[in-house]
Amino acid sequence: MTLPDSFSFQERLAKIRREFDLLTIIQTLIGYSSLIVFLLLPLLSMFVQAFIYQTKISLYWFWSIISSSDYFSIQSTGGRMLELRRGIMILWGTDHGIFLNSLIVAFNVTIACSVIGVVLAMIMGRYNFPAKRVFQIVLLVPLLATPFVNAYVIGKLFNPRNGLINWLLNDVLRLIPWRLDIDGLFGIAVAQTLAYYPIVYMNTVASLNSIDPSLEEMAENLGAKGFRLFRTVTFPLIVPGLAAGAIMTFIFSLEDLGAPIGFVGARANPLARRVVSYQIYNSFAEALTGGISPRTAALAVLILFVTALSYIGVRWYVNRRSYAMLSKGGRWATRTKNPQPYVKALIVVFLVALILLAAMPQIGTVILATSDWATSGTLPTTFTTQYMNTLFTNSEVRGAVLNSLLYSGVAVVIMILVGSSIAYIVDKRDIPGKGILDTLATIPVAIPGISLAIGYFLFFSDVFQGTLLDPLVDPALLLISAYSIRRLPFTTRSVGAGLQNVDKSLEESSMNLGADRSTTFFRIVLPLIVSHIINGAILGFVYSMSEVSASVTLGGLREDRVPITYFISQIVYGAAATGSVSIGAALCVLLMAVQITAMAISNYILKQKSSFLGV
Amino acid sequence: MVKVELKNVTKRFGEVIASDSVNLVINDGEFFTFLGPSGCGKTTTMRMIAGLEFPSEGKVYYDDKDVTSLPSFKRNTGMVFQNYALWPHMKVSENVAYGLEVRKVPKEEIAERVEKVLDLVGLSGMGDRFPNQLSGGQQQRVALARVLVIEPDILLLDEPLSNLDAKLRVEMREEIKDIQRKLGITTIYVTHDQEEAMAISDRIAIQNYGKIRQVGTPQEIYNKPDNLFIATFIGKGALLEGNVTSIGENISVDIGEGVLEGHNTGNKSLEEGDHAAVVLRPENFFLKELDEPYNVLDGLIEWSSFIGAVTEVKILIGDESLLIDAPAGREYVSGESLKVYIPKAKTVILPWMELD
Repeated sequence: MTLPDSFSFQERLAKIRREFDLLTIIQTLIGYSSLIVFLLLPLLSMFVQAFIYQTKISLYWFWSIISSSDYFSIQSTGGRMLELRRGIMILWGTDHGIFLNSLIVAFNVTIACSVIGVVLAMIMGRYNFPAKRVFQIVLLVPLLATPFVNAYVIGKLFNPRNGLINWLLNDVLRLIPWRLDIDGLFGIAVAQTLAYYPIVYMNTVASLNSIDPSLEEMAENLGAKGFRLFRTVTFPLIVPGLAAGAIMTFIFSLEDLGAPIGFVGARANPLARRVVSYQIYNSFAEALTGGISPRTAALAVLILFVTALSYIGVRWYVNRRSYAMLSKGGRWATRTKNPQPYVKALIVVFLVALILLAAMPQIGTVILATSDWATSGTLPTTFTTQYMNTLFTNSEVRGAVLNSLLYSGVAVVIMILVGSSIAYIVDKRDIPGKGILDTLATIPVAIPGISLAIGYFLFFSDVFQGTLLDPLVDPALLLISAYSIRRLPFTTRSVGAGLQNVDKSLEESSMNLGADRSTTFFRIVLPLIVSHIINGAILGFVYSMSEVSASVTLGGLREDRVPITYFISQIVYGAAATGSVSIGAALCVLLMAVQITAMAISNYILKQKSSFLGV
Repeated sequence: MVKVELKNVTKRFGEVIASDSVNLVINDGEFFTFLGPSGCGKTTTMRMIAGLEFPSEGKVYYDDKDVTSLPSFKRNTGMVFQNYALWPHMKVSENVAYGLEVRKVPKEEIAERVEKVLDLVGLSGMGDRFPNQLSGGQQQRVALARVLVIEPDILLLDEPLSNLDAKLRVEMREEIKDIQRKLGITTIYVTHDQEEAMAISDRIAIQNYGKIRQVGTPQEIYNKPDNLFIATFIGKGALLEGNVTSIGENISVDIGEGVLEGHNTGNKSLEEGDHAAVVLRPENFFLKELDEPYNVLDGLIEWSSFIGAVTEVKILIGDESLLIDAPAGREYVSGESLKVYIPKAKTVILPWMELD
């Protein structure tokens, strides 16, 4: 509330009484209660566990991690990097302890994704070349979820013995004199880079397209050209988008379980286990019998500190550096150049190569799912539909699919209910505490999924012991909550974007004509943002279907409750009775199909919406 | 139909005072306008009458009933917003029917009343269109129909014509006035366009920096401004600055180039020696001697501009330029001298105040 101190107590009271009608009370309660129970309290439980040693508040567990060379070692304690042995170039990465490994991988992935993302953004945003529209879509292929299988495919392609790429580059084309052995930490970094660069690219391109061309034209007019123009004008203006994409990449990399588990499954190289996310995942295997150790809680808190602090830092930096475009009036055409034909050719070649490389996991997944490639060696020999059929015939597989569909469906309803409540309060109401609600709803972005999973386990298996919320009794409700809460910031933003188009006067005119706030909300506001809500719901559904962190930890606590991603992880890891990785790949094909369908529907709806409103 | 009364109403937004101790009575059936420069608080004052804002201090009464903290949806007012605020997802007829639906009026009656009101605003047959298929003027009519259909006690119009082009604006304001006269509904109108306010209102309140500066009929405000702000805000006019030399039946002011006699219309009295302003409307200048008592000034023609019925002539008196409406049937040569006569009865003298 923005009343200055000079306002009387009665005035404040009258205002509060006026603002808190039934709808507002319900929305505020929904927002706060869900965030407190399913975000704050679990995190608090984890903090309590991590900071207590022998019934006293202590940094013991943190110290035991930091001081152990198993977790933190400046000197390399193992692994191999750029070593040539018997014609094989070994690219595994070096071991600096579990904690430091995670940071190093995340840092390198972020740098690599940023470079690729910015280069792509500049090419796509500034040049005209053949088939540009096709590239715009295909560049996003790596966003298709192929959890675990993506890393498995990369491990398989770069296997020094019979990997397809090694065979192509070394035996067939003779481009490089040795075979590549990509595995371990380096493999994780490669898999993550290929998966996450579109995040940086999309954010950067959005920033780039919002630059008023006259700013660059002015700079050119004053004599800046080429790289100087980029360095002094363009780059500073795309930094906010770049930073937003980079921090997301950093967090995703730190919490990622897909690549470590995939590499362990593909090659069983112990180096792939030497990251924080894998260690926390591993501790859940013991959770069934012995619970989660305080050391694991401390590790989860440590990784949370890293993500939260870097997120806050980047937010602070971006807020300071975001420039509202001051230019007035008119739409502008973005500045695109028509380069020389040979430059166009170079661009196309570069893009095709990049996409082939980046889409390897997706292509490989499809091949695994439809052929005998998993066991045939270098190349697949026969195509088969047997693995795709398993989706419908195998009861275990079908069970996992149905579980995921159910969890995701319910999670979508919850995230929309909570997300639209919070968005409405934050965007349209002036009530005390809305700023706190806004901040709380953003927090999940910066929380690694594995940390949240630890918090859920500690809080609900203790406070709600023996109830349906106890993950050891039934993890289903917690998975649904985890999906909803983890996706909440995005849902809230999506609904908020819709609300920003609903002018205040549209609501005021309704209330003026005799409708109370609830009637106004349901008859005026909701219909106007329905396309944003559906869009948020679709993306939330896709997210929930392919969520990994909570699914493979909490989801594994009861056999008949496992979601798709847990099932895939078990297959790839080699632990599932169902066996062949090809079935995991078939499940990934299903996930990709869901995702493509969802994107198409969401695209269609958003386009529909604009024609419907005549804008 | 109701009488609206504001008692000592003040609205603060943080440190900004939007409405400052407003005291007003708006009579039953009256067409009442808030007029003032942008940011003067006129819209805020209206929104407090509508129940969309709530006063920080003071009371709002409808017919002696205290409605100060009654929410908008319980007040039965009808407000037309500056941007019309038509709901884009509803057809015209649905927009219009909305207020009746939330009042739980039976379906058949709704259909009947919607049709009738669309007819009243000249939109019969347009019910099935969506707002974005209508022109600005038509959207304006829908907005009007939407509030008229609920038979509001008070009609509130917030700069309803500002988004229309000049020709349509004049047409619409006549229509609004017609409808208001037909229905006899208490109407409160907000505008920054003084010509519009003069043309349409029974009474006008001029607001500036949150304060009501004068309330009166258009004639009162034009001819008898309470202070120099009103005199300069309403209508064209020239200002001559001087000091009061004598107070009698008329007040004499020495402007340096001569002494002008006139009367004080303001709400503050003048003493001998006071700093004062002489306000002269362009249409009150004559080029020949008059039968009534008059002031006379010697001017130098700067330029003239023929605009039809009259010729506007800029004359220099001392170092002040004045614009006068002169007869169209002759030449005005720049640099020649021109003697102008002003009736003393039309010479307005006001205490000086600093304007910005």
